[in-house]
Amino acid sequence: MRRWSYILNEAAIGLRRNLWMTVAVVLSVTVSLALFGASVLLRQQVDAATDDWTGKIEVSIYLCDGLSCPPITDSQQDELLTDLEGNPLVDQVFYETKEEAYQAFQEQFANEPTFLESVDETTLPASFRVKLTDPERFDAIQTEYENRPGVESIVDQKELLDEFLAFTSTIRWSALFVAAIQMLAATVLVANTVRMAAFARRDQTQIMKLVGASNWYVRLPFILEGVLAGLIGAAVSWGILVVFVPWMFTTLQESLTFVPFLTRAQIAGIWPWLAGPAVVMTGGSSIVALWGFLDV
Amino acid sequence: MISFEDVTKTYRTDSRDTVVALRDLTVQIDRGEFVFVVGPSGSGKSTFMKLLTREVEPDTGEIWVAGKNLNSLRRWKLPALRRDIGYVFQDFKLLTNKTVAENVAFALEVIGMPNPVIRQRVPEVLDLVGLSDKATSKPHELSGGQQQRVSIARAFVNQPPILLADEPTGNLDPQTSIGIMKLLDRINRTNTTVVMATHDQHIVDSMRKRVVELSRGELVRDQARGVYGYAN
Repeated sequence: MRRWSYILNEAAIGLRRNLWMTVAVVLSVTVSLALFGASVLLRQQVDAATDDWTGKIEVSIYLCDGLSCPPITDSQQDELLTDLEGNPLVDQVFYETKEEAYQAFQEQFANEPTFLESVDETTLPASFRVKLTDPERFDAIQTEYENRPGVESIVDQKELLDEFLAFTSTIRWSALFVAAIQMLAATVLVANTVRMAAFARRDQTQIMKLVGASNWYVRLPFILEGVLAGLIGAAVSWGILVVFVPWMFTTLQESLTFVPFLTRAQIAGIWPWLAGPAVVMTGGSSIVALWGFLDV
Repeated sequence: MISFEDVTKTYRTDSRDTVVALRDLTVQIDRGEFVFVVGPSGSGKSTFMKLLTREVEPDTGEIWVAGKNLNSLRRWKLPALRRDIGYVFQDFKLLTNKTVAENVAFALEVIGMPNPVIRQRVPEVLDLVGLSDKATSKPHELSGGQQQRVSIARAFVNQPPILLADEPTGNLDPQTSIGIMKLLDRINRTNTTVVMATHDQHIVDSMRKRVVELSRGELVRDQARGVYGYAN
């Protein structure tokens, strides 16, 4: 199609003519999208680390299996279950066998074979997983059951999880905040660049309008110029994330062996989260910048 | 072909004064006519031309061009209107990085004409304006008169029913201007309506075409086979 070759060609000419401006646009889009992408990845990382099982339960009552205390007897276990079910503070109780615990563990750490090898079916204890009617009443549950025979320990998963989530969400929001400011800067920069390009070629566009070229035919090269610069920025930010995030994870893995990290393939899969905002941001900004400017 | 009915156009200046560019202008131009629009600077000539291509819109009054009512014409239909009008500028407005042939072809390319049509029409119109041998020259290699011929070729290559020329001889010497006028006359003979804004007295007097004279935005004279001043 000669139309498209014309439009693409014009956009490319514009980008080259304004080389330094283009570099500025690409850099600011890159920074904003890298931060945005990092915050999306952090979210995915958190979701992967906290399986939905952990999300549903609030309290884990681990049962003795003979490793650190005498194993729980069947009658003790039945009694404990009956008491829990009769307790008004308890909403739901699930029993997780050692096998189930091991299976869930395997799923959660599928990406980390060395870590998996260090654990076998007998390592993880069976537990009652309890959902409370009021999540804040953990203390009452703890005092009531922690000294029962056969109970190894009681852990407030919710509290652990909440601390972890609060920490990551602080990081996430900070990254999003900086990304938003940077994105605003990028948007203004794109608008300015596109206007400059349109101004530099005003003779050409004036002729186009007077010989009856359609509005989109006049505008599209300029809009595409902004979008192309944005997509280049998105590609660079994608490259940065794919190279540096796994590298960061490798470092973290030495101290955080129990956390399952996102794989490089999962990180690479973030590209729609970068390309999408890049197109919307630069395209939108270009269209608004040309509003009225190239109007007939 | 062209019809103005009680058209008034005012501009607002920075100091919030309004300047009347055209006042209650009523004029009809038929298909195939050759019309000079004359008057001093600020008389409303430019506004008249801009209203024809709807670069500006009137405050009141009705304008018809090439069968289209410009008052109610949708914005997305403007390109269709512009394709019915060829426009020749005083300063030529050629693209300096393109050759003569490319400048002319550009007008067809950007309205999506297929390649075979472009390859056929561009040499034809360059032949018409007498520049066949300059097809591969760049505008800066041409004289002013030649550049204006390219500009006319570009305006006429799509064979529009109307050709507007805004001071086409304004930057040219009298001898060269005569050549340009002969060319416009030849185009007019192909049943193309030609409207030319000018204040070149010699040209108007020598052509003896219809003259529409504006003064301070008002029509003060509309004379078939007229001259520039009130000579007769």
